[in-house]
Amino acid sequence: MSYKLINLENITKSYEGQRVLDNLNLYIRENEFLTLLGPSGCGKTTTLRIIGGFESPDSGRVIFDGQDITNLAPNKRQLNTVFQKYALFTHMSIAENIAFGLKIKGKSQEYIKDKIKYALKLVNLEGYEHRSPASLSGGQQQRIAIARAIVNEPKVLLLDEPLGALDLKLRQDMQYELIRLKNELGITFIYVTHDQEEALTMSDTIVVMNQGYIQQIGTPEDIYNEPQNAFVADFIGDSNIIDGVMLEDRLVKILGAKFPCVDTGFGRNKPVDVVIRPEDIDLVKPKKGIITGRVTNLIFRGVHYEMDVEAGGYTWLVHSTDMVPVGEEVGIWVDPFDIQIMNKPESVHEEAVSVEE
Amino acid sequence: MKKFIQRFYMGLIFLFLYAPIVTLLVLSFNSSKTRAKWGGFTGQWYVSLFQNTEIMQALYNTLLIAVLAALIATVIGTMGALGINHMRRRSRAFFNGLNNVPILNGEIVIGISLMLLFLACRMTLGFTTILLAHITFCIPYVILSVMPKLKQVNKSTYEAALDLGASPIRAFFLVVFPDILPGVLSGFLMAFTLSLDDFIITYFTKGPGVDTLSTKIYSEVRKGIKPEMYALSTLMFVTVLALLLIVNLSPSEEKLLQGSGNGKKNLLSPRRRRLIFGRVIPAALAAVILVGGFYYGSKTRLDSDNQVIVYNWGEYIDPEVLDLFEEETGIQVVYEEFETNEMMYPKIKAGAVAYDVVCPSDYMISKMIDNDLLAPLNWDNIPNASNIGDMYYRTSQQFDPGNLYSVPYCWGTVGILYNKTMVDEPVDSWEILWESKYRDSILMQDSVRDSFGVALKYLGHSLNSTNIKELTDAQQLLITQKPLVQAYVIDQVRDKMISGEAALGVIYSGEAIYTQRENPDLEYVIPKEGSNVWIDSWVIPKNAPHQENAEAFINFLCRPDIALMNFEYITYSTPNEAARELIQDEDIRDSHIAFPDEAELANCETFTYLGSQVDATYNDLWKKVKSS
Amino acid sequence: MKNKSRFLAAPFTVWAVGFTIIPLLIVIYYAFTDNETGGFTLSNLAEISSPENMKALALALLLSVVSTAICLILAYPLAMILAQKSVNQTSFIVLIFILPMWMNFLLRTLAWQTLLEKNGVINSVLSFLHLPALEIINTPGAIILGMVYNFLPFMVLPIYNVMIKIDKDVVNAARDLGANPLQTLTRILIPLSLPGIISGITMVFIPSLTTFVISSMLGGSKILLIGNVIEQEFQQTNNYHVGSGLSLVLMLFILFSMAVTAKYDKDGEGSLF
Repeated sequence: MSYKLINLENITKSYEGQRVLDNLNLYIRENEFLTLLGPSGCGKTTTLRIIGGFESPDSGRVIFDGQDITNLAPNKRQLNTVFQKYALFTHMSIAENIAFGLKIKGKSQEYIKDKIKYALKLVNLEGYEHRSPASLSGGQQQRIAIARAIVNEPKVLLLDEPLGALDLKLRQDMQYELIRLKNELGITFIYVTHDQEEALTMSDTIVVMNQGYIQQIGTPEDIYNEPQNAFVADFIGDSNIIDGVMLEDRLVKILGAKFPCVDTGFGRNKPVDVVIRPEDIDLVKPKKGIITGRVTNLIFRGVHYEMDVEAGGYTWLVHSTDMVPVGEEVGIWVDPFDIQIMNKPESVHEEAVSVEE
Repeated sequence: MKKFIQRFYMGLIFLFLYAPIVTLLVLSFNSSKTRAKWGGFTGQWYVSLFQNTEIMQALYNTLLIAVLAALIATVIGTMGALGINHMRRRSRAFFNGLNNVPILNGEIVIGISLMLLFLACRMTLGFTTILLAHITFCIPYVILSVMPKLKQVNKSTYEAALDLGASPIRAFFLVVFPDILPGVLSGFLMAFTLSLDDFIITYFTKGPGVDTLSTKIYSEVRKGIKPEMYALSTLMFVTVLALLLIVNLSPSEEKLLQGSGNGKKNLLSPRRRRLIFGRVIPAALAAVILVGGFYYGSKTRLDSDNQVIVYNWGEYIDPEVLDLFEEETGIQVVYEEFETNEMMYPKIKAGAVAYDVVCPSDYMISKMIDNDLLAPLNWDNIPNASNIGDMYYRTSQQFDPGNLYSVPYCWGTVGILYNKTMVDEPVDSWEILWESKYRDSILMQDSVRDSFGVALKYLGHSLNSTNIKELTDAQQLLITQKPLVQAYVIDQVRDKMISGEAALGVIYSGEAIYTQRENPDLEYVIPKEGSNVWIDSWVIPKNAPHQENAEAFINFLCRPDIALMNFEYITYSTPNEAARELIQDEDIRDSHIAFPDEAELANCETFTYLGSQVDATYNDLWKKVKSS
Repeated sequence: MKNKSRFLAAPFTVWAVGFTIIPLLIVIYYAFTDNETGGFTLSNLAEISSPENMKALALALLLSVVSTAICLILAYPLAMILAQKSVNQTSFIVLIFILPMWMNFLLRTLAWQTLLEKNGVINSVLSFLHLPALEIINTPGAIILGMVYNFLPFMVLPIYNVMIKIDKDVVNAARDLGANPLQTLTRILIPLSLPGIISGITMVFIPSLTTFVISSMLGGSKILLIGNVIEQEFQQTNNYHVGSGLSLVLMLFILFSMAVTAKYDKDGEGSLF
């Protein structure tokens, strides 16, 4: 688990003068399920394509298994890609699609036949050999694309938003399918998505990216619970991000009220961003809270209620299993360890540098 | 490196595509009339272009046909595509196949099949038939261009429009049409371009007197392209290029303007630009063409009985002469042209259009007399006919016994034009055209009778021989000569000899004078074995509606000053003795090329009509020569 | 709606019948009737078997096959290069290829005469560079050049139009699965662009096979193609019956060759636009 299989060193890439990746450094461990997560245009797909060999960086190096593969053609790399829109060969049958890479490598007929069978079984599409790609549903096509990639026994599988075109239910099924596959194959997955839920569900490691910079690297739990800046906090899950002032260690002033917290070392009277997850807010009797407000909106969400609470001139988003009717006055209480304090970034670049390890 | 190879390759292809364009562009500024020589820079063709009514008329026909054909084809084609798109699978396949038929046929088959259709329907070949033909071959391209866009149309938007209360027609125009508009427009553009560039189909479906630029150019290829044509096509090309650049460059301009903020300053907003290029320019174009149409229409309308309908060779009269005639006599001239005797003959014979006065060549006149198509002339109405030299009337007897039907207009001989710097030995016999040392430097006439005439004369036979032995001998001779021949051409002999492309060429004496002026190394001889002396004469068809006007016209042409004007314009020898006296330039007046004496013409003959049977034999033998 | 909309095709149908089908029937009628008597005959069709006509047809087939092949070889890489360009350049690129058509077809061909002649522009340049002269004018080579020149855009555009619709990731996928550039070309790109290739072949082969202008202008009228023969039958010999017979034979050849190629173009996806 500790071997660094892929190393991206100082990768920079621009398109038509627009910088897409700026001095990116990242390593990927063997057998890891690593997800590149971020909004569209954050550079995640470009990163993946550089690893796959479909783009070459303006500067920097790609090291794979100790070797520099920056300028190696895609067909000579020991990794395979599952493309966003499947990219199946429409003029070939399913079997021919899957056999493509093996035929190129000159494998024997027998071997190829076995592999096709094995791969189709792996993706639960036995008996589809002679169908044409156009006759399959989106989810089935996606699984064929995966089968086509894994028969080549790559060391790394690159997946570029593979579930983006599928509907919600199918997407969830495929998520479990992918995790199962990953465990069965025991290879490295590099997964690109803009869907935070997908990332949280499947990944060992999540790399959050924005505007060409890495914002945070960590386990799903780290990323969710300890977002290092407002962008990550906002992008992962719902959150209340409020301007605050760190009065002293373990005390922060938000919207005129003083909240105890657990953070130290920010100095005195320092402006900061304060992140509070909606499910971490407790609604209590008006006098018992740190700040008092009024419920202005209420939606039933199934597992919980979602409420807007006007307090201190800010609309707090609150998730709770207990319902408070609209118009009622409530107090807001947050446990000190549920309050996340972050420095305000002075520039995008500083943001990126500050999260680098 | 890869980028460089790609650029280099694209560069080569563009060089290939645009090299001829650049050549034409350069030629349009060439002050020499022949494309074989660079005579210095000039812009005069761009001026004289607009004074050349024939070219302007052809341009106007071309544009009008292209606009109308493209418009009608776009309407029919778009409707057709919509209809086909709504059909069941099988009928859709059938109609798609039907649509492909014209494309698969090849232009030549479309051309001849439509020509046969029009003839079967007894339609006069002319503007209408060209237009119908153009619409026919444009429709498939419109359908092919609209169809893919229709397939992309999202059906639910149309249904949404219906749901929101639009009538089906409104819904179509509001929702579907904007989606397929790019396809419709590119179909229109394609149809317009193809119509504009078409030659083959027009060639088969056009009638006499109606020319598009293509057919005009084709007839000029035989006679030598007028430099005005280069100027015109350069202008057209540059106009389109400019339009293209404007349309394609403006988006970036738009970005700049939007970047600077205020929408008010945005002179070329996308909507306005679309308005300008989508509506205003086409509308303006259409308006210009329509107004032009009425103008030309009113000009050529046959508004009185006092007219004369002239059917003449192309480029065979000084246009000013026609104006003078109208001015002096008040008779309106309706003027049409033909390219070959063979194309003229069926028109006269069919009688669909009644011509008053026609100018065929010798052998064709005898054919017309044989077929009783000509009216005898009333010589009292043509007093100026006495200006024509006696020797020409004598020669005319060969095809017009008794001089009843024809008045000589132009005449000349066929001989050898050679380049003194390339041919050392004296040239006095056809024999030299069979000298192997001039391989690939000999130009022959691309015409049956002229080529066989040369061979027959060389063999010492009559050039009107009907003896099959003599003819096959001549054919054999021509076949042995073929490897030596650089090309079979018509009037390009002129250009090619001037530029030194060839050493020897068979040429008409009228062209020889011009070529000598351009290149003094050239010399013209009538070989001692004899040659063809030809006469083109004015005749009046039997069904001529205005015989007296026709005679007045012939009389006018025989006036010495008028004959001189024509001589100077056409450069073919005039039989008009009085006119010859008026020629200022002594060299030309006494030129042996223009006016050989009777001794030099001793062994020369005119062609006579040999009957359709023999004609067919000649054609057959000639085809074998050509394909040998 | 669906039922009524079909009738929008009515004008097209009328037109196609009146100006395509009926004229073809007239050609067939002429082809099977005698010039003199008007009676039924097969002699017009049999004209094709005369040595001259056979030669003209064979030569036309040869030259058109060669020029179609050259067009394909030139156009395919070009279409590939063009398809990589960004989208907002595409309409411009397409127009670049159509643009020369605004200079008249005959003039363009004539310009090649000027360029290729013995003392023409190209040879002047070559002799200036002390290179051997290009002696191509009035040979089949010049005719092929003329065909390639005039019909190349009709090969480039359909291939290009199919090519831009191919998902770039499909090509990437092939590379990703280990195919080298050549394998990617032969196994993926060419099969996927086949409709465009077929359409291009049609658009080049047919006009090349039937042309008479290019052969007479660049071949010095020394080389007769089947198009020249038909043109002469109609415009010079005035024998419409033999002309129609030969045209019919020509059409059969076209139909045959298209039937062969159409087998590969099942969906009819290829188009000029």
